[in-house]
Amino acid sequence: MKYQIVIAGIGGQGAVFLVKVLSIASAIKGQKCLGTENHGMSQRGGSVSCYVKVGNFYAPAIDEGQADLLIALEGNEGLRNIQYLKKGHGTIVVNADAKFPKVDFETVKIDAFTKAKNKEFSIEALNVYMLGITLAKDKNFPFSQSEIEQAITQMNAKAAPKNISVLHLAIADAKEI
Amino acid sequence: MKQILMGNDAIALALTHAGVDMVSGYPGTPSSEILGNFQKHSQKLNLNTYAQWATNEKVGFEVAYAGAISGKRTCATMKQVGLNVASDALMSASYIGLKGAMLLISCDDPGFYSSQTEQDSRSFAKFARIPVLDPATPQEAYDMVKLGIEISEKFESIIMLRPVMRVCHAREICQVDDTLHVEPLAGNFERNIPRWAAVPPAGRFRQGLEQLERLEVIKEWNWNNLIEPKAKALKGSKVLCLTSGTGDGYVREALEERGIEADVLKLDMPYPLPKEKIERLFETYEKVIIFEESYPCIEEQLSSPKLYGKLTKHVHQIDEFSKDKVLSTFANVGLIEKNNSYKSEKYNQPLPVRPPNMCPGCPHRDVFYSVMKVFKKKKSIYTSDIGCYTLGLNQGAIDTVLCMGASVSMASGFAISDPDKTVVATIGDSTFAHSGVAPLINAVYQKHKFILLILDNSVTAMTGRQTTPERANPTDIDLKKIVEGCGVTCYEYVYKPDLNQTVDFMKSLKNAYENADGPVVAVIREFCVLDKDRADEWLPKVYVEVDSEKCVSCDSCITAYKCPPMHYNDEGKMEIDPFLCAGCSACLDVICPTDAFIRKNKEGK
Ligand SMILES: Cc1ncc(C[n+]2csc(CCOP(=O)(O)OP(=O)(O)O)c2C)c(N)n1
Ligand code: SF4
Ligand code: SF4
Repeated sequence: MKYQIVIAGIGGQGAVFLVKVLSIASAIKGQKCLGTENHGMSQRGGSVSCYVKVGNFYAPAIDEGQADLLIALEGNEGLRNIQYLKKGHGTIVVNADAKFPKVDFETVKIDAFTKAKNKEFSIEALNVYMLGITLAKDKNFPFSQSEIEQAITQMNAKAAPKNISVLHLAIADAKEI
Repeated sequence: MKQILMGNDAIALALTHAGVDMVSGYPGTPSSEILGNFQKHSQKLNLNTYAQWATNEKVGFEVAYAGAISGKRTCATMKQVGLNVASDALMSASYIGLKGAMLLISCDDPGFYSSQTEQDSRSFAKFARIPVLDPATPQEAYDMVKLGIEISEKFESIIMLRPVMRVCHAREICQVDDTLHVEPLAGNFERNIPRWAAVPPAGRFRQGLEQLERLEVIKEWNWNNLIEPKAKALKGSKVLCLTSGTGDGYVREALEERGIEADVLKLDMPYPLPKEKIERLFETYEKVIIFEESYPCIEEQLSSPKLYGKLTKHVHQIDEFSKDKVLSTFANVGLIEKNNSYKSEKYNQPLPVRPPNMCPGCPHRDVFYSVMKVFKKKKSIYTSDIGCYTLGLNQGAIDTVLCMGASVSMASGFAISDPDKTVVATIGDSTFAHSGVAPLINAVYQKHKFILLILDNSVTAMTGRQTTPERANPTDIDLKKIVEGCGVTCYEYVYKPDLNQTVDFMKSLKNAYENADGPVVAVIREFCVLDKDRADEWLPKVYVEVDSEKCVSCDSCITAYKCPPMHYNDEGKMEIDPFLCAGCSACLDVICPTDAFIRKNKEGK
């Protein structure tokens, strides 16, 4: 199996957390995994993109036109990285409202900011929320819900119950998309 | 045992497994996590080790080097530009050699992700005449740390490890040792004046000859242990790809994906190379392509009409590798047709750019705002330095950025060359300790007139909030006393999230400057919003919103102050993003000409 994932967002949204969870999930699954994290600058607010390559790969970065999945924690960051998706095959899972333009890829769109503003979940858990949407909606996503939950628990057992409840919320919300 | 490790964590773990018990370094992306992770592993394994941040890379190197001379296994960590600072020590230490072992880890940053140059530490190793190992993945980094320590002991030479950002910050499932089986070595300095204090010309001449002999032995070792076993396994295609570091992964992926026939030989130790033996391998090939990052280090050591690389302009000369660049090279040397068919298009509408900016609530922003308010642009020159405060660029408050410490010495230079303007220099606390003190002494004794603001947020914020000397030992180290010790008065301002007060302080400095005949220096005591131990007591948690009736969309706030939560809404009025606002309250006063910024009724987000 080979699956390449780009995670795009804004500094402080927790893209690196998702890289860690997905690499632990790969280990649980017995798959090889190469990830690259973005640890450039401390400050919040700049554009961030991270890569996860599941399967037999040797190089850490993903090339344009190669990713199977783009998880965008914010709409414009999704558009900024859209060229990473495989022509004709890629899926974008994006946190954006109705204004998000039509793109040439399978698009799963949810307005997570509004849900966070309505206090349905805490904004700190936006990354886990978008992972839940991905899990529910990306047909080719290589991990099962239980593998992801195990990975979240391995990563940080104390925070796991809260994170897993956000994951469940997202999976439920995804039914309405 | 298998563990999922980030490259820098794999390096740190390997250091403990290799019996290293002294690590000294200075932070810098992408190297910074190595030392902290080493401390973490030491604690977990209950090891009695030394691992501390030095004031700069030269200091860090020399501490570790002395440890190695006294027989310990040691390590110095830094980023590639840090090696420039440590280079004076390295050049001589390379002649002298050592007794225990020393790994010099210099992390490169092809693609300029967070560095001011794309310099190649392998080429630096070549210049300094020390062997260098170039890992391609976290697993290789782990293995090469252990190998590096082993051969450092064997050859009595400093060994460099050169991981690039894509190794330091890559994450991989690694095979690592289950238990420790290497005991650290005891330090015992044995006096040997002809060796440790060799003086030119005779002493150093002899060490120069020894250094050359040592390199010949290492070349032979490189061939026998690292190159020949792999060379024997080559299949014998028409094309040979010589690779180093991450270039190897991109080449293998490109070959596999496109089904291209070529042999790949990875050179784990790109310097020193057994030139003749490697060139003999070329006999059966039509073309030999060299893939390396970022300078032509291997290419410069070899010669053959069959070689294609950076010097022949067949491989890109700047920026990091990508599979696409590898494929372009294959096309350039005639191995495949030029073809971009698999590429997807970029989004074709303009997107709002998100340039790096200081965090919401960062005190640096207020300082620059006040500088601009009090020292007008036309009559001033703003020299600055390297750190989070470099982002004062966004506020138009910085004219020059060179390298660490240069804000102070360049302020001297401008004070001499353009005396009609007021020079305002800004420098962080970590950078001041790193390389700001020597230029300040220079300015005081030569009476250079400028203003120096030391922005003391008590952390090395830019690189991940490592401790500063004053933070680690506040009873003995005080920046104010250091400034006074340099021979000049030190003004002090404890930051308040009230711009009126910060502007007033800046005005008082202007007055002091008018009567001064040398530098006017101030320490501004700040905090870093991301510093969990201090931020809570410093942030008032007073949140702000904009009265849309009063907002006249004049741009003042987002031009001169630029706090990330500030943006125009669909009605064209300013709005504060409640998710981003840190609740510092600093924007309530001064920055808005119509006083549209008001306290939010309910507390919290
Ligand atoms: C010679 C050298 N070493 C290390 C670095 C990496 N680096 C960039 S900024 C910085 C220090 C920033 O700390 P400080 O001066 O306290 O400013 P702050 O980020 O806290 O505002 C470092 C170490 C560098 N650019 N050059
Ligand atoms: S990390 Fe700290 S010093 Fe840097 S911009 Fe953010 S608040 Fe300011
Ligand atoms: S209160 Fe104002 S200055 Fe402070 S973080 Fe919020 S928007 Fe920025």
